[in-house]
Amino acid sequence: MTGTVPFDPHFIARLIPALLEGAAVTVELALLTMAICLVWGLLVALANGVRGPLGWVAGGYIQLVRNTPLLIQLYLVYFGFSMTGFGLSGFASGLLALCVQNGGYVAEIYRGGLQSVSIRQFEAGRALGMRRWTLYTTVILPQVVARVIPPLTNQSIAIIKDTSQVAAIAVMEIMKITEVWVETSANTYDVFLGAALIYLALTSIAGLVGKLTERRLAFAQ
Amino acid sequence: MEDTSNDASSLAIEVSRDRQQRPMLEITGLRKRFGAVEVLRDVSLAVRPGEVVVVIGPSGSGKTTLLRCTNLLEEYEHGTIMIDGEPIGYRIDGRSGRRVRMSEREIARAREQIGMVFQSFNLFPHMNVLENIVAAPVRVKRVERRQAEVRARELLAMVGLSDKAAEHPIRLSGGQQQRVAIARALAMDPKIMLFDEVTSALDPELVGEVLAAMQQLASDGMTMVVVTHEMSFARDIADRIVFMDDGVIVEEGKPDQLLFAPQTERVRAFLKRYNDRYRI
Amino acid sequence: MKEFGPLIHSFWYLLRGAGMTVLMATSAVVPATILGVTLSLLQVFGGRLLRSAILGYLFLMRGVPLLVLLTFVYYLMPLTGIDLPPFWGVVLVISLYYAAFISEVFRAGILSLPQAQWDAARSLGMTRGLLLQIVILPQALRLAAPPYVSLCVSLVKATSLVSIVGLWELTMASREVVERTLAPFQIFIGAAAIYFCICYTLALYGRHLERRVLLGH
Repeated sequence: MTGTVPFDPHFIARLIPALLEGAAVTVELALLTMAICLVWGLLVALANGVRGPLGWVAGGYIQLVRNTPLLIQLYLVYFGFSMTGFGLSGFASGLLALCVQNGGYVAEIYRGGLQSVSIRQFEAGRALGMRRWTLYTTVILPQVVARVIPPLTNQSIAIIKDTSQVAAIAVMEIMKITEVWVETSANTYDVFLGAALIYLALTSIAGLVGKLTERRLAFAQ
Repeated sequence: MEDTSNDASSLAIEVSRDRQQRPMLEITGLRKRFGAVEVLRDVSLAVRPGEVVVVIGPSGSGKTTLLRCTNLLEEYEHGTIMIDGEPIGYRIDGRSGRRVRMSEREIARAREQIGMVFQSFNLFPHMNVLENIVAAPVRVKRVERRQAEVRARELLAMVGLSDKAAEHPIRLSGGQQQRVAIARALAMDPKIMLFDEVTSALDPELVGEVLAAMQQLASDGMTMVVVTHEMSFARDIADRIVFMDDGVIVEEGKPDQLLFAPQTERVRAFLKRYNDRYRI
Repeated sequence: MKEFGPLIHSFWYLLRGAGMTVLMATSAVVPATILGVTLSLLQVFGGRLLRSAILGYLFLMRGVPLLVLLTFVYYLMPLTGIDLPPFWGVVLVISLYYAAFISEVFRAGILSLPQAQWDAARSLGMTRGLLLQIVILPQALRLAAPPYVSLCVSLVKATSLVSIVGLWELTMASREVVERTLAPFQIFIGAAAIYFCICYTLALYGRHLERRVLLGH
C-alpha cells in the first residue's frame, strides 16, 4: 500500500512522546471538566427541582445543551467570544463548552439518582422522627451517591472522548496531534493506532476508577 | 411398542390395559447438581394417569427443580423421564446404550404434552388474555385461529373469566392471571399439568379462586403434579402426597396418612413447624 | 433584531444543510439498528468465541472517540483504493459506532425480561425461534425503545463531526456562512436552533415512549 510504512521503530520513538503530550492536555481537560461539572451539575439539578422561573431556566438549559451538538457549542464559544474582542484560548473555550454541555448531563444523572431512591426510604426516615436535614444526609444521600457512581463513570468516559472534538479549535490534545502527524508523515496506521490505544487506556482507567469507587462506597454503607 | 397380535380387537384391549397401567409420568433415578451442590439425589417418581400428586417440603428441597427437570427447563446429569411411555429430554440410544440429549425440536414437541403454570410473571404482557391463550395452539400446533379462539373461550369459561378475554394481563389480579395461565396451558391439550407454587406469590384472598380451578381440573381427571405450601389444599386435592427434603423423596403416602401419621421424623418436624404457624 | 440579518439571509442555506444532516442520520440509523439488534442476539445466544469477538468490538467502540474513527477512515480510504463516496464512508463509520451502543441497549432489554417469560414460552412447546419472535423480542423492543431514541438523538448530533473531515452538512454549512458573514454568534445560534428542533422532537417522542413503557404498554 502506498503511503504507509508500518511499524517503523524510529518513527514510533518520536511519535509516543508527542502523543503523550497530547494525552496530558486531554487528561487535564477531562479532569477539569469532570470536577467542575460535579459541582455545576449539582447546582443545575437543584435549580431544576425548584418551582418557578429558576426551575424553568434550569430545565430549559438542560434541554438546550442535550439537544445541540457539542461541536456547535464549541464553535459558538470560541468564535463568538473572539468576535467580541474578549477572545478565549482554544483550551478555555473547550473547557467552557465541555462544562456547559456536561453540566446538563450530570444534572440529569443527579435527578435520576434521587428519583430512584424509593419513597419508602423517605417515609421510613420520617416515621423514625428524622428531620429533613438528618433524613437527607444519613439516609438519602448515601444511597443517591451509590446509585450515581455508574452513570457518572460512563459520563466521564464520554467526556474523555468528547475532548477529541476540541481539535476543531486547534487545541493540541490527542486528536489534533494525530491529525498533524498524519498530515506530515507516511505512517498513517501507526499514528492512529497510537491514538486509539491511548484513548482506550484512558477510558479503561476511568472505568476502573469508577468500579473501585463503587466498591469502596458499598463497603462504607 | 411391539405388536404381539394381529387381532385388532385384542390389540385394542391390550393397548387400553397398558395405558391404564402405564404411568403418565415416570421419573427414574434423577440426579442434578448446581455447581458443587447436589440438588436432586436419585429421585424416582411414577404418576398414574388421572392421579394428583402433591409435593411438599422445605425450601431448597428440590421440589421446584424436580418439576423444571420434567419438561427440561433444567438439564440434569443422570436419570430418565418418560411422559406416557415416551422419553423426554434424554433418551437411551438403542445401539450404544448411552444417554443422548434429544434435539431442541423433539424436546419442544414433547413439551406440548406437558402443561406448566409458574409462580409469577407467567402471562405475556404484550398480548391480551385471548391472544395469550391462542398463541401457542396457533403458532406451535398450527390450529386454525378461529378454532383456537373457540376453544380458548371454552377454557376461559371453565376458569370463570369469560368476560376478560380482551383484557391485558396488567389489568387482572394475581388470581385472575394465574387462572388465565391455567387456561393457556390447557389450550395445548396436555396429558399432564405441573404447578410450581402457583399461589405462593398471591395475596391470601386471591388464593381460593386458583385452588378452585385446580380442584375442578382434578375432578375432570387431569394428571397433575403440584408443588405447594398450602397444606389444607394438599389434603383436599391430592391422591398422594410426596415429601421431599434435601434432594430426596423422604416419604410418600395418602394425604391423611402422611399428614397426620407420618412415619419419618423429618416429616413430623416439618409438619409440626407448619402446624405451629398455621394450625391445619 | 437587525443584527440577525446574516442569519435570516442564510437561513435557507442552513436548512439545506439540515436536510443533509437528516439524510445522513437516517442513512446511518437503519444499518446501525439492524447490526445492533443482530449483535445483541448473537451476544445472548452465541458461542464463546463469537461473544468474545463482539465484546472486543464493543470495547473498541466504547473507548475510542467517533472523531478518531472518522478521521482514520478519511485518511485510510484513498490508500486502500476502495472507491467509496465520502458520504457512504462516514455513514458506514457512524453506523458501526452506534451499532455497538444500540446492541447494548437491546441486550439490556432482552436480559431484563423475567426468566418466567422464557420458561412459560418453552413449556408451551415453542422453539427458540418462535419464542423469540412472539414473546421475547416484542417485549425487549418496547423496553429498549426509550434509550434507543436517546441514541438516535446522539447520532443526529454526531453527524456534526463529519464537518471536521470536510463533509457538508448543517455544521459545515454554518461554518461557511460564518466565514462569509463574520457573524458567528447569530449563525451558530441559528444552527443550534435547527439542531434543537430536530433533536428535541425526537427526545419528546422518546419520553412519550418511556411513559408508555412505565404504564406497562
